[in-house]
Amino acid sequence: MAVEGVVMMDPAGLKAIGAGLAVGLTGIASGIAEKDIGSAAIGAMAENEALFGKGLILTVIPETIVIFGLVVALLIK
Amino acid sequence: MLSPKQMSRATIIGHKDILEQTVNSLHGINSFHIEDYNDEEQGLKIGKPFENADDVSNKLIKIRSISSFLGIKKAEVGKQNVESLFKELDTKLVELDDEVSKRTDKKNEIENNLKEHDTLSKELLPFSTIPLDLDQYRGYENLVVFSGVVKDDIELELSSITKSYELFSDPKSGTIVLFVLKEHADAVSDILPDFAFRELRVPEISGIPAELLKKLEQDIVNSQNNIESLNAEIESLRTKYSDFILASDELLSIEAQKAEAPLRIATSEQTFVIDGWVPNEDYDMLARTVEDATDGRAFISRTDVTKEEEAIVPIEYENPKISSPFEVIMDLYARPRYSEIDPTSLIFITFPLFYGMILGDIGYALILLGLAFGIKKWVKSDAIKPLMNILIYCQVSTLIFGVIYGEFLGFPLAGLETHGHYIPGLIAGFETINLFVSPFGNEMVTYPIHRTHLVMTMIVVTALVGVIHINIGYLLGFINERRKHGVAAAMLEKGSWFIIEIGLLLSALGYAGIIPTAIGIIVFLVGFVMLLKGEGIKGPIELPSLLSNSLSYTRIIAVGLSSIYIASTVNQIAFDMIMPDSFGPMTIFAIVIFIFGHALNTILSIIAPGLHALRLQYVEFFTKFYEGGGRKYNPFGYIRKYTEE
Repeated sequence: MAVEGVVMMDPAGLKAIGAGLAVGLTGIASGIAEKDIGSAAIGAMAENEALFGKGLILTVIPETIVIFGLVVALLIK
Repeated sequence: MLSPKQMSRATIIGHKDILEQTVNSLHGINSFHIEDYNDEEQGLKIGKPFENADDVSNKLIKIRSISSFLGIKKAEVGKQNVESLFKELDTKLVELDDEVSKRTDKKNEIENNLKEHDTLSKELLPFSTIPLDLDQYRGYENLVVFSGVVKDDIELELSSITKSYELFSDPKSGTIVLFVLKEHADAVSDILPDFAFRELRVPEISGIPAELLKKLEQDIVNSQNNIESLNAEIESLRTKYSDFILASDELLSIEAQKAEAPLRIATSEQTFVIDGWVPNEDYDMLARTVEDATDGRAFISRTDVTKEEEAIVPIEYENPKISSPFEVIMDLYARPRYSEIDPTSLIFITFPLFYGMILGDIGYALILLGLAFGIKKWVKSDAIKPLMNILIYCQVSTLIFGVIYGEFLGFPLAGLETHGHYIPGLIAGFETINLFVSPFGNEMVTYPIHRTHLVMTMIVVTALVGVIHINIGYLLGFINERRKHGVAAAMLEKGSWFIIEIGLLLSALGYAGIIPTAIGIIVFLVGFVMLLKGEGIKGPIELPSLLSNSLSYTRIIAVGLSSIYIASTVNQIAFDMIMPDSFGPMTIFAIVIFIFGHALNTILSIIAPGLHALRLQYVEFFTKFYEGGGRKYNPFGYIRKYTEE
């Protein structure tokens, strides 16, 4: 059984799984990081609308994580 | 172009007699930013509003309340002459107020009546099937009346208590009206709860309920008709007076602004001092206008902006008309400071450039271009217009990159031969031309550039674009810093980054064996020490950002590819469905998928490239040089829309 399992492994499939993990996990990570910053930024903007620019910047900083994930996924391909 | 408008500080001093003329002339030229006076400790007092202030603000409140009652919307109407408007303002306002309040009073009265009738008819409804005059429900000495609703028939139980009763009931709704002798009342009220008796109030009027109800219904219909006709009258009032209201609102707003201006001005017993800012180019005009208005009795002086004042100068952009829409993007972040470089004109180039590099699709560019022109034409809003202009610039850039990439709605325009199999293009006979092998990833650079087949090369190219962009940022930072703290500080804080970069480059050459590695390392260390001296411990901490910031620009290819993949997935699904030759329901379904899929991707095509291009400006570019935080230039005046002098 075990031998059969190894034979079934397709390198292309593993690559695809790897690429998927790279995008998916970094996406989740960015989401977790951005959610706290985002809600704080919205709170600050409710107080002072002029903070939109700074709020946007702070919110999108962790987004680089998923971009790197995407780049890695493209490289794996 | 690269810096805000040059300002000077202007002070106008004069006798209080000429205050009104001075304020009027300042308001007329609409380019003097009044610095509010609020320092009463200096001995001067804040001025008192002009005499007409109360009157004007009362009228303004009246006209605004009428305007909001009538639901007047801003519209493009002809301009009205100020003088004739002034003449008829009072009489017309009284007339309008009268007409409106007459109708509102009447409407309120009818609505109140309607409410009363409504509750009355609700109360009467249960009694509608009982043919008794309401007068007969009350006024007995020896009888007690129970009126209400019950479940089940109560006659059986009732007759066990007494035989002398009178019962009217409606079996459908369960309403009963029961007359019993007073001596049996207690016994009856004891049994009633068993039948879930709920008492009903009898309305204090006379008449047979059914007839009353009929009359009420008629009344309600009449009142509703009345309200409708009143609404129509109000509507006609709105169309009749709309122009007048818009124009007089503007006129009174201007008057109120002028009348309250002394509240921002320093005054003594006999004199006034107006302090403020004016663009250099407008100063002569300002001085001339004020002198003309006051027969030269006002003393006007100007001083150049001092170093200390730079923090409080109001900032007005000075950009060519073509790049001015991007001031919106600047304001979203922060206005530049007075001595700082205003990067609006740079964003005018780089923002559409990055947007176009990301999207790069002829199809989407044309759709969005049409959309932007349409919205610009149909939506008359001053807030929307610059955004649409930005969108148009971005689409022009997208169109250019679309031609370079050879893409149309996710389809490649040119056929491509790759790894032994052939992908047909949208244009028959248009074949991809091989140009040269790229040094990265052994990929063939072609025209049109197929992004999906040049991932490695594109990643490197976009990162290089990032390096260039970031270095422009450091260069601007150097200039800003030099203006603020001199060449030495600029060299340490911003110049050190260039030296570090050169050091890294030399080290790379050393690694390749072209020059000795030591040279690179020494240059790098020199830069590092300079940075440490210039920025403190913050500098070395930010050192890795050199790498992460440049890599961040790879989003240009990454986000672009995700957009292509969405588009080509939509295309593939739709065309796989359509593949059977015969025309059937699947064909319609495929078309629906094609349209919805691309509609979705079109919307994403505004959001994703837009936000990412914006972020590259704000995060990667601005942090290298931009401080921001300037005060908005808000001249004393009014841009007339509905009136003219």
